[in-house]
Amino acid sequence: MPLLAATGLTKSYGGVRVLDGVDVTVERGEVHALVGENGAGKSTLIKILGGAVRPDAGRVTLNGAPLPVGDPLDVRRRGVSVVYQEFTLVPGLSVADNVFLGRERGRPFLRRADMTREAQAVLDELGGGIEASALVGQLSVAHQQMVEIARALVGEATVLIFDEPSASLSGREVDRLMAAIHRLRARGLGIIYISHRFEEVFALADRVTVLRDGRRVETRPAAGLDRRQLIHWMVGRDVSEEFPVRQIAPGRTMLEVRGLSAPPRFHDVSLSVRAGEIVGIAGLVGAGRSSAALAMLGALRSHGAIAIDGLPARFRSPADAIRHGVVYVTEDRKGRGILPLMPASQNLTLASLDRYQRRGWLSATAEAYAAADAARQCDVRAASLDQPAATLSGGNQQKLLLGRFLLTKPSVLILDEPTRGVDVGARAEIYALMNRLCGDGLAIVMISSDLPELLGMSDRVVVMREGRVTGELDRASATPEAVMALATRSAA
Amino acid sequence: MTARRFLSNYAIFIALAIECVVLAIAAPSFLSIDNFSNVLRQNAFPAIIAAGMTFAILTGGIDLSVGSVVALSGVLCADALVHGWPIWSAVAAGLVVGMGIGLVNGLIVTTVRVPPFIVTLAMMLVVRGAAFKYTDAHTISGLPPAFATLSQGVAMAVVMAVVFALSWAVLMRTPFGRHVYATGGNRDAAWLSGIRVDRVLLKVYVICGLGAGLAGVLVASRLNAGYPRAGELYELDAVAAVVVGGTSLFGGRGSIWGTLAGAFFIGILNNGLNLYNVSAYDQMIAKGAVLLAAASLDRWRS
Repeated sequence: MPLLAATGLTKSYGGVRVLDGVDVTVERGEVHALVGENGAGKSTLIKILGGAVRPDAGRVTLNGAPLPVGDPLDVRRRGVSVVYQEFTLVPGLSVADNVFLGRERGRPFLRRADMTREAQAVLDELGGGIEASALVGQLSVAHQQMVEIARALVGEATVLIFDEPSASLSGREVDRLMAAIHRLRARGLGIIYISHRFEEVFALADRVTVLRDGRRVETRPAAGLDRRQLIHWMVGRDVSEEFPVRQIAPGRTMLEVRGLSAPPRFHDVSLSVRAGEIVGIAGLVGAGRSSAALAMLGALRSHGAIAIDGLPARFRSPADAIRHGVVYVTEDRKGRGILPLMPASQNLTLASLDRYQRRGWLSATAEAYAAADAARQCDVRAASLDQPAATLSGGNQQKLLLGRFLLTKPSVLILDEPTRGVDVGARAEIYALMNRLCGDGLAIVMISSDLPELLGMSDRVVVMREGRVTGELDRASATPEAVMALATRSAA
Repeated sequence: MTARRFLSNYAIFIALAIECVVLAIAAPSFLSIDNFSNVLRQNAFPAIIAAGMTFAILTGGIDLSVGSVVALSGVLCADALVHGWPIWSAVAAGLVVGMGIGLVNGLIVTTVRVPPFIVTLAMMLVVRGAAFKYTDAHTISGLPPAFATLSQGVAMAVVMAVVFALSWAVLMRTPFGRHVYATGGNRDAAWLSGIRVDRVLLKVYVICGLGAGLAGVLVASRLNAGYPRAGELYELDAVAAVVVGGTSLFGGRGSIWGTLAGAFFIGILNNGLNLYNVSAYDQMIAKGAVLLAAASLDRWRS
């Protein structure tokens, strides 16, 4: 009998089926890797396993006994713990306090010494030299990750689920994490491991399950699998066919950045983009890519030289940058992108309102016309542009943001993870739109952690690692291996 | 539109209508011209202050200094009149005082980045103290009789109508108004979209101060005196009117007409309870209950 078994898990959100009859099991002392593209249903699957989301159909058993659904605390008490991608730590509390959060020892008064000692024991086993009495807010991201794992372990977990634990770690930190996971496996825990990085999957996993569009495509022993086979299952077609070849005839240099620095986030970043060209920025999370983009926009204090269309420019705020034709579409769509309560139409016109006014008064007609035009150009699909932006799908929200900034008539478009959390269909439309804009002479900078997308769309790829540019590759030499070698420390 | 959305969008107007109908049936004197102008006169001050407060709350902020601004602007306006200033310039002085205090609030909020709640709470104390100090806690009287005509029923109704019409036009028909909603709806998103969020906030607190300054001048006209205790607890009445009117304390959602309806809902509630000789204490309890109900409705709708 498997340690944990999920059968027929099905879940829909607003009519879209994100999981469709998925089965998955994990044995004692096994690492089971779960791979799939963004939107394949991995996150939903682990949220169901962790009890955070209630499935429409299907069941989960632990040692043959049904696990409660939709009750994360109870699921955790029974020994299934999820280490989520977004940390759930309280920065102002100590490591020990965080490890025992919600399960404090001692009533009515806390037994601090006991908790600190126990937490320290678990942390020492994981390795990394973290003090249980330290404040979590002062730890590095990698150490916070360890605290997050320690938290799962003090609950006497029997199944641990990792949601892309390495996404924000550097090479050495990843090695340490892998070592910790090996030790946990040796202790007999069942481990489900989600990752975008094939090297980790092959180094860790005993079995691999591939999800695509909410269905389980394959489950195989990891031994004997190769990368090409995995990609084929994940994507369902050959990757090279995914991106239409674009004939480029790049024009003038529209954006030129020389020696841009904003310590400690990034140092000495230089790059240039010509009209009609897409330049990709590759790198791991935390490599400083978004910070560099925000600095180019004047949203982050920095020093260095920036020239727009040959003229030196120094933006003091995004407003400044937009006026000069430089726009940035955020990676954090919900947090820093859409205005959830505003109608879609007003979300579209937000950055270009000055164009629809006469002597200070908005023209409702001009505004509505512009909104409809942008919605058409970006293919925003909504029953009505009057509906609040929050009610649109991720893909449509992304197009809404694109439309918002295209209405400002930019000459340089900086896209940060433009297809994160966007379904396959909308992705293709966003790619087509990018190509069209390029054809119209826009200069595009694309930050993406999705390597196939980055390689498929970019004419050149600039790679960053730990806040520095480590290389620039043209289309011919930009292979996944070459990019990863520049992006990770281990291979450098 | 779903029934739920309809209900939550128009709840305050429906409630106001029901309240009027019930009172008209239960207390016939409610419909008299006298009572009507009474309600209008009593509630114009809180309504005007609440109009300004709507701007602050739409950005996700608040202005607790408005009650004290009423006192200081009224006192200074009265003193100017006593010193022989023409009415228009004394009134202007009162408005400028309000705007000046709003400007200070806004500058601290945007440059020092202290939360508006704290900034304006501190300013509430400072300004009230200043009003007492300036008058030595005395009432400034002996104002020209012409000044009192400013707060007569008709004049007051006109001023209030202009304030709300202007507020509506600014909020719904200018880029600045949209920026107010955007700043409250998602400040980071607004900023990345090229909105100069700090300038928006600065203007919003100046508007808030202007509303309070105007109310202060009108209160002085009504009392025909500069009274350093004027406007006590007005900040809470204004916040209550805005919230009862359906504007979210988190910012980004609400309307100026909701605020007008909210102010009058509370005002008419008081009036109705007065007509029934309900004690002032029970009236306070009733007001509190209404505020709680409105805030709960806000949670339910979001």
